[in-house]
Amino acid sequence: MTDPAINVSHVSKQFGETQVLRDISMQVEAGKVSCLIGPSGSGKSTLLRCMAFLEQATSGSIHIEGEPLGFTDGPQRRRQSPAELRRVRSRIGMVFQQFNLWPHMTALGNVAIALRKVRGMSRSDAEDRAMAQLDKVGLKERAHHYPAQLSGGQQQRVAIARALALDPTIMLFDEPTSALDPELTGEVLNVMRQLASEGMTMVVVTHEIGFAASVGNRIAFLDGGRLLFHDTPQAVFAAPREPRLEQFLDTYLDRGASMLK
Amino acid sequence: MTWKLFSLLLEASLMTILVSAVSILMGLVMAIVLSGLRMSGSRVADAGAGVFISFFRGVPLLVQLLLIFNLLPVIGITLPSLATAIIGLSLCTAAYQAENLRGGFEGVAPGLIESAEMAGFTRMQSFIYIRTPIALRMTFPALVNEAILILKASSLVSVVGLIELTKMAQNLSASTYRPLPIFAAAGVIYLAINLVVAAIGQRAENALPGLPGK
Amino acid sequence: MSFDFAVILAKLPQILSGLGVTILIWVGGTFAAVVLGFVVATLRRFGGRGIEVILRAPIEILRGTPFLVQIFLLYFGGPYIGLRLDPWLAGLLGISIYGAAYYAEIFRAGFQSVPVGHVEAAECAGLSRNQIITAILLPEMALLVLPPALNMSVILLKETALLSLITVPELTMTVQAIGSQQYAFVESLVILALVYWALVELANWLGRYAERNLSKLSA
Repeated sequence: MTDPAINVSHVSKQFGETQVLRDISMQVEAGKVSCLIGPSGSGKSTLLRCMAFLEQATSGSIHIEGEPLGFTDGPQRRRQSPAELRRVRSRIGMVFQQFNLWPHMTALGNVAIALRKVRGMSRSDAEDRAMAQLDKVGLKERAHHYPAQLSGGQQQRVAIARALALDPTIMLFDEPTSALDPELTGEVLNVMRQLASEGMTMVVVTHEIGFAASVGNRIAFLDGGRLLFHDTPQAVFAAPREPRLEQFLDTYLDRGASMLK
Repeated sequence: MTWKLFSLLLEASLMTILVSAVSILMGLVMAIVLSGLRMSGSRVADAGAGVFISFFRGVPLLVQLLLIFNLLPVIGITLPSLATAIIGLSLCTAAYQAENLRGGFEGVAPGLIESAEMAGFTRMQSFIYIRTPIALRMTFPALVNEAILILKASSLVSVVGLIELTKMAQNLSASTYRPLPIFAAAGVIYLAINLVVAAIGQRAENALPGLPGK
Repeated sequence: MSFDFAVILAKLPQILSGLGVTILIWVGGTFAAVVLGFVVATLRRFGGRGIEVILRAPIEILRGTPFLVQIFLLYFGGPYIGLRLDPWLAGLLGISIYGAAYYAEIFRAGFQSVPVGHVEAAECAGLSRNQIITAILLPEMALLVLPPALNMSVILLKETALLSLITVPELTMTVQAIGSQQYAFVESLVILALVYWALVELANWLGRYAERNLSKLSA
């Protein structure tokens, strides 16, 4: 049996007195899309950030394609060396809610810089590759614009291109459309949908229940730091309901309904 | 005030501009290194940079220049007065610029550093390619301000024997016994240079791409 | 090479007298600069458009030229227009006028940063113009201008060292003179630097102390 792309095992996390994640275990298989949903403060973003080691779990372990992330395996839990961490992390691409494009570089520069400085590619090779990635997200003609000159949706697509340029096998999305005006979410979701159809392993923290239901192979529902469900969309949305999940989905329906008015 | 005297002052003001420009740039490089030391995570480096900044901001530039000018020969280093002047001015402005940059570095959104981390940058690469350029853009007005301060402060380098605008004015007023028009003319030249620097700074700031909120 | 600091420290009484002159000129000059700067800023704020235009030029000139050139002009140029000043008086006057230009700007920014709404509210409440100034504008402004004002006073402290170049017997001139008498010039400069450093850090510390307490009062 091959290793799962992501293996989260008994992960707990505390911020001071607050228990943010409680003994979470879940696997994401290669080529599958898992969507993390749940009310705000449920710990879904923290869990995703643990999968990139942007947050450190207080206990438990996370493996990326069989290799430990952040802490070494073995009886003594030790921090990985920065070089080791970079090596394991190089398989992960991350997309943030706030895009986090570097404001002093053009779209092309944002995508190309890591290819040059981290992968050691020549400037022209890096820019060719970056241009191809921008083309893929439909932004070739915006390559020489600075982030401040792009709409939110365009910035987020550049951010996706920036992550994809480094050839990750796993993409993590932290509420990628939450900072966008409603009319701009579609263009970002379409890019993500395309990516999923190409077989990319993805974990997506999202409030877009429709997207989760249609694109997700698995839906993980978190509440109060606990993972209550990690199952197929059919099972989560159709099967006999957990009361907390039902309550959560109802507030969504209400919100959806009020938006229609 | 004859044209002859005024042209001598103008000529000397080229030295003022040269010394100031080189010092500002060298000070900027040193200030970036100081900022890096402060954020390196090493207590020794942080404390060392802190003492450097505190000292050069705490001692009058005149005293710093006299100290460097007199200390270097004693420890066996003899430099032309131009080099001494530049060393003195750059050390001083490095301390002030490091203090200015501190605010810029603190203003770099954590997410921008996280995305650099996820792109595989080492801490050093992230400092060089991401944090420093962003901090510099955010503190650019302070840099222009500092350039004007250093232009004015360069009037002190006459104490290390360099003939720049103020020293030339001193010499001319001693030989002509007409200090009033000569120092007034020197003042006008300083003012003109500073107005030009401020105008260029304003233009450059508007032309800088990609500042948040622009 | 060997350094002998003892010969400098043996002249402690002289050093202290130089320090005394430095502190007197610093404190006196800063006080005068604050008062003058405040008057100028108030005139600019409330004196009408003509005064504002007239006052802007000297402030820009003082802020755009080196302090050294200003005191040379005053001390060496003054006699040619009948202004013959003792070095220390020229120094005190120089510090005051130079500082006043910067304080005028600090206070101007302070006036501007008091929200218009606060003044309008006071007008609606029926306060007179003078009452608004003393009861609303000044207290609000004091908090805002304190940090830059304290910072400026430290800058003025360091500028007093330049007065040695017009032979004011302050700290720098005194210690340098001791250094050349004793053939210990480098030592004298090291001690000079340390004294200024200590003085500036002390002033900074007092400033932070004052800021903390004042912001507590207003909170």
